[in-house]
Amino acid sequence: MKKLSITALIFAFCLGMVSSAFAEEEVTCFESRKGASEVVKRDLQPGWPNVKCSPKTGAVLWWGDPFDGTVPMGDTPLLTHVPPGNAVVKPRSAKLAILPLCGTACHNGVIPPTLPKDKKPKAIPTMEGLLPDAKNLQHGRGRIWCLDCHHTTQRNKLVDNFGDPLSIDQPQLLCGKCHGDKMRDWRDGIHGKRIGEWASTGKKRWFTCTECHNPHNVQDGARNRGFIQLEPELPPQLPKGMKDAKHELVHGVH
Amino acid sequence: MLGVSSLMGAGALMAQSDNAQAAAEWAEHFQGNYRLMSPQEKAEARARLERRYSAEYGKKVTVDGTEAQPGVLMGYALNVRKCIGCRRCVKACVEENNQSRGEKPGERIEWIQVLRMERGEFSKDKMNQGYPEGLGIQVGGNAYTPAGQVLEGQYHYEPKAVPEKEATYMPIACMQCEKPPCVKVCPVRTTYREADGPVVIDYNWCIGCRMCMSACPYWARRINLTNPVLPNEAMNPVTHYLGNRPRMRGVVEKCHWCLQRTRKGRYPACVEVCPVGARKFGNLLDPESEVSLILARKNVFRLKAELNTFPKFFYFYD
Repeated sequence: MKKLSITALIFAFCLGMVSSAFAEEEVTCFESRKGASEVVKRDLQPGWPNVKCSPKTGAVLWWGDPFDGTVPMGDTPLLTHVPPGNAVVKPRSAKLAILPLCGTACHNGVIPPTLPKDKKPKAIPTMEGLLPDAKNLQHGRGRIWCLDCHHTTQRNKLVDNFGDPLSIDQPQLLCGKCHGDKMRDWRDGIHGKRIGEWASTGKKRWFTCTECHNPHNVQDGARNRGFIQLEPELPPQLPKGMKDAKHELVHGVH
Repeated sequence: MLGVSSLMGAGALMAQSDNAQAAAEWAEHFQGNYRLMSPQEKAEARARLERRYSAEYGKKVTVDGTEAQPGVLMGYALNVRKCIGCRRCVKACVEENNQSRGEKPGERIEWIQVLRMERGEFSKDKMNQGYPEGLGIQVGGNAYTPAGQVLEGQYHYEPKAVPEKEATYMPIACMQCEKPPCVKVCPVRTTYREADGPVVIDYNWCIGCRMCMSACPYWARRINLTNPVLPNEAMNPVTHYLGNRPRMRGVVEKCHWCLQRTRKGRYPACVEVCPVGARKFGNLLDPESEVSLILARKNVFRLKAELNTFPKFFYFYD
């Protein structure tokens, strides 16, 4: 009996080692934009993961719970038919590593002494060091600069038309200042992406502007048609006996 | 006809098998057309399948039977200008809908196909050239460049990154026609249009004759020529009888707008996964739904509209 229990103990110990070895193997996938919307794979219930990821590209292919890690979106003008609490977002602030520091370490509520008085763009070497995109800001093609979108004294906030701070989790209120047509389509569910319930009044997780677009370089020099290029998933299986996909082009269609 | 099935049944009865799987198969073999079953029979059929799938895949599998809700007509819209051809919808569909995913020929089934199309052009040096050579028929693009043809190879593009400069992409799957040719030709009436829109298949009643595959103008249907390869850990245990429950060899399957999700209110898997938000789904009878707003506001077309199949799948562009 004693021997059996010792064996069982050893077995359980080994099992624990194996399971802990598996647990350490952390899989990180990305939701829409690589480097900006990462999510760690885990089990919500045994055998029911929060996400399933593509083995080839690392993209999230499937959500076990579309509302995992979300918070209420906050007020959006004219979004009246959606009951409160049914529009949720994943906070962007959690993804921005230096954001908590911005408003305390350097921009602690005072106007920086080096701030130009005439609103003309000026190179800021510190920020260019922290954020390479700032060096040659593409958004606006040189017609706008940092403080057109970021608040002057509260640098971890965005800014609205009246100079009031906006949460970094509600970029739509900032982007809508110029891109009103896109804002309208987004509010109606035509532009952009939402997951969750399909009913027009149902609970949805909304993807905000900056989850899909890089706000400092929306156009991205290497892009071809509106989106940053990304790696595609594997093509379908070729029909039986077909060696490659070019057989129809041997007679020169083009 | 009578002989083979009756003998098999009699054999199973005489063997007095305790094997639950054999009993389930016996009952399954003689079950009726799903549409003609009583609610009681439907529940029994689903419970049988739950038992069999749970044993087969080693986990608790549910087979749902939620019926169509009144006041719902499902509709779908896809922004062809936005699609970048990344094929995430194709793979998400496989994750959700329990398709076969083996390596041998015919073992890998995908319901969505993404066509890569060359862009047409009107360039000065081609103005005096005639009609496209090689095919002899104008099927797309313009008079000078035969763009937009669908060749076998155009499904199989494999660049390092998408979107490519000279290409547009057009995903196609089942269009859930209001007048579906596949339903007209089915000799056993196992495929039919549900009251809330989607065209579904009772896999148990399918004889695998593939008439529907020939009739479908959108190449939307697939047949399990081999035994489906579906690993236990990859199997999605939340299923619907008319939706993503595991299929057997010799039956036809196709997109059903993720019935197991949409009947419970959730978006289809392909809508949720699209990284550019090109895919939209909603209730056509609700004027506030995103699909209704797209129909009201955007430029919309249906694929092969001249065939009068009246798809509920709309393509649009900004």
